[in-house]
Amino acid sequence: MVSNLAVAILNGIVWGLIMALIALGLNMIFGLLHIINMAHGALYMLGAVVAWYVIELTGNFWIGLMVAPLCVGFIGLIIERGLIRTIEDKPIITIICTFGLMLAVQQLVLMIFGGSPRRISPPIAYRFPLFELQYPAMRIMIALISIAMMIGLWIFLRKTKYGLWMRAVVQDREMAVALGIPVTKVYMWTFVLGSALAAFSGVLAAPIVSVEFMMGREVLIMAFIIVIVGGMGNLEGSVIAAIMISLIQGVGALFVPPSIATVFALAFMIIVLLFRPQGLFGE
Amino acid sequence: MPEKNEIILELKEVNKSFGGLLAVNKVNLSVSKGELRALIGPNGAGKTTLLNLINGTLSVSGGHIFFKTKEITNLSPHRISHIGIARTLQITSLFSGLTVYENIWTAVQSRKKFFNPFIRAFKWQDVKEKTESMLDLTGFKDKAHLVCSELSYGDQRILEMGIALSTEPTLLLLDEPTAGLNSQESMVLVKKMRGMLSGQTIVLVEHDMGVVMELADNISVLHYGSILAEGPPDEIKENEEVKKVYLGSEHA
Amino acid sequence: MFIQKGKSFGFILIFILILLLLTALPFFVDLFYQTFLTELFVWILFAISFDLIFGYTGLLSFGQALFFGLGGYTVTILIRKFGLNTELSLFLSIIIPILFAWFVGFFSVKLTGIHFVIITIIFAIIGNIIGDTWTSFTGGADGLTFSPPPFRLGLFQIDLTDIKGNYYFVLAIVAISFLFLRRMIQSPLGKIFISIRENEERARLIGYNVQRYKLIAFIIAGGLSGLAGGLYSLTLKYASAGYLHWSVSGHAVVYTIVGGMGTLVGPAIGVGIVMSLEHYLINFLQATDLVVGIALVFMVLVAPKGLVGLIQSIFKKGETSA
Repeated sequence: MVSNLAVAILNGIVWGLIMALIALGLNMIFGLLHIINMAHGALYMLGAVVAWYVIELTGNFWIGLMVAPLCVGFIGLIIERGLIRTIEDKPIITIICTFGLMLAVQQLVLMIFGGSPRRISPPIAYRFPLFELQYPAMRIMIALISIAMMIGLWIFLRKTKYGLWMRAVVQDREMAVALGIPVTKVYMWTFVLGSALAAFSGVLAAPIVSVEFMMGREVLIMAFIIVIVGGMGNLEGSVIAAIMISLIQGVGALFVPPSIATVFALAFMIIVLLFRPQGLFGE
Repeated sequence: MPEKNEIILELKEVNKSFGGLLAVNKVNLSVSKGELRALIGPNGAGKTTLLNLINGTLSVSGGHIFFKTKEITNLSPHRISHIGIARTLQITSLFSGLTVYENIWTAVQSRKKFFNPFIRAFKWQDVKEKTESMLDLTGFKDKAHLVCSELSYGDQRILEMGIALSTEPTLLLLDEPTAGLNSQESMVLVKKMRGMLSGQTIVLVEHDMGVVMELADNISVLHYGSILAEGPPDEIKENEEVKKVYLGSEHA
Repeated sequence: MFIQKGKSFGFILIFILILLLLTALPFFVDLFYQTFLTELFVWILFAISFDLIFGYTGLLSFGQALFFGLGGYTVTILIRKFGLNTELSLFLSIIIPILFAWFVGFFSVKLTGIHFVIITIIFAIIGNIIGDTWTSFTGGADGLTFSPPPFRLGLFQIDLTDIKGNYYFVLAIVAISFLFLRRMIQSPLGKIFISIRENEERARLIGYNVQRYKLIAFIIAGGLSGLAGGLYSLTLKYASAGYLHWSVSGHAVVYTIVGGMGTLVGPAIGVGIVMSLEHYLINFLQATDLVVGIALVFMVLVAPKGLVGLIQSIFKKGETSA
């Protein structure tokens, strides 16, 4: 029992960190552009799929982890320039547009990649003993990479010019324009960064879950939950919420069926939406 | 001057704070029937906030608001509308995708009690007549079938007043009707207002002193959320304190 | 423009012509296409019920799948497990979704914009998970099959296991629902919905209790979505938890956007076009969602008012309409 609990907690943290990366991408885009990107889950899936091809080609997981976010980031660039920019002031229309995008990307992957799930085998096969069970070291590695990524993101937002610009635009768009910040450029790079983050987490998740064209659908919803509970536009809140929710789900699933745990999480989210629309950690 | 008349609106010690900041501070105000009361004051004096408190867009932090003799403190905006207080906004607020006719119609039919989903709207003869007479009054007869985003900005401001009037209000709250208009357009609007709004009890928030002096029966000057002075235009014009605060900050 | 009477006459003429055409059609097409058209009618009902809440009231609800699924399950379970007759089951497939829509709407209409979208998605997901998990009652993802007894109304009787009979039955109900919705849109109540879509704040300022009317629109749309679900399971003799998935609401979004939101006719045309497209494309590619997705993106960018809006703007340059 102790070992089961330990595994559940570790899994919860690992998965929570991956979810945090996905939610961070979604939330950055929301905080800045005020749009809900329904295609975010599809971009996450695309990251995993691209990585699968790269790994097939090179046999190296780490190259996949590098290349997939770049490719998907580029796709994000096209999406932002080609689609989002023209409708960014109409949030509801953007939801519909990115929903269409989600359908198209999913089906495109189905046509090219096929419908059956495929596996990416972890580059680190070592398992270490955890009480009487074995735990894959790769998951710890994934967790560490996620944390490193978040620290990198934090430094980027705090210490670089672009990061400063981003935060300024979030604070007050008009003021930012007045100060000469190239707002549309900031929008574009934020979208690219958000897309790349989604892809990056897709690759990280791939050794744990299987790669298939629908893998982004449920993740998208989880990411929504995290962003809302943590507070829309509140990046730190997203990280805390991601880990918290994954832990509750993972540990809760030891005691009740996972679907019931999810229903409770969703009901909880409705309450948050109604009474604290700014999120649990907002002011 | 209608001093002795029935009191339509009365505010008693009304407070509003945002966080720790007092935006409206113990305001007492009473407006009698037929009076046009102007609310003036520098930016951030709490004028719009006060209108928002009266019509229920915001809830008061303290104090009471009476309409005629009835307390209306913290009623929701749609209830306030039915009690007889109409409101225009500083930033034009219309049903912008609908025609002028439909805008007025929607406002006129709001006075009905039951909205039968099984009849055609145009079968409501009384609403139709009232809509047409409102179009006459506001001078939109020829433009009735234009979508209102096609109207000039000045016309949109007038239409919003027309919409407010169509709810047959006892009291009209106007929030800077001349906002965004040049002085020539403002004068056209004032002329129009004189025709449209004669006899109407009005609380007018306005920046343009020319408009205020032209229209107001009485003026209340707000400063940092409190009433600084009150009286007829001539008196206010000469008031030393008002000159110092108001003219000092506005025309410096 | 809602004060013109002339147009209404033209509409009735076209409507009757189309009905006559559709009544004659089963004599010229085979059973496969009769079933296809029956399903198409059902989706038209679903799409126009969505148009009421989105196109006319301005609320993007991804929760319609919940009511669709509830309607489907109401009919399926009442007939299969409780042996109820078809008339009452179908009637309850409106009432039960209405009760749920009341509950969901009560909370949802307190929120606006993106928050409203998300809360409706969440309610639908909860419904889907419950449907998926409670297999003893719902059959889960595999679903439940049933065989409906004939529909009786007085002396009138129709056998729904007969494909042609089912075709006429669905056609009649969808046609009546269409007229009902059209009349409601033209009614004073409809004017309130439209005013909320155009400017919620202004509607409130002129005295409309905006939340109440949003709830009313939500409930009516929920009831009609439920009816669509009921008819769908009567047509397929089957219901599954998949009906409840929020992406089912996405169908309605696609139809409405492609055809033209806030027009009723538009979503109906949208259903026809998208479903025909899917039907023919399925021979070339297994992935029809690709085309649907691209169509959605394309329409949003190029013709946000849909095909109906596009046609209107071509035919009525200079003239205004509403």
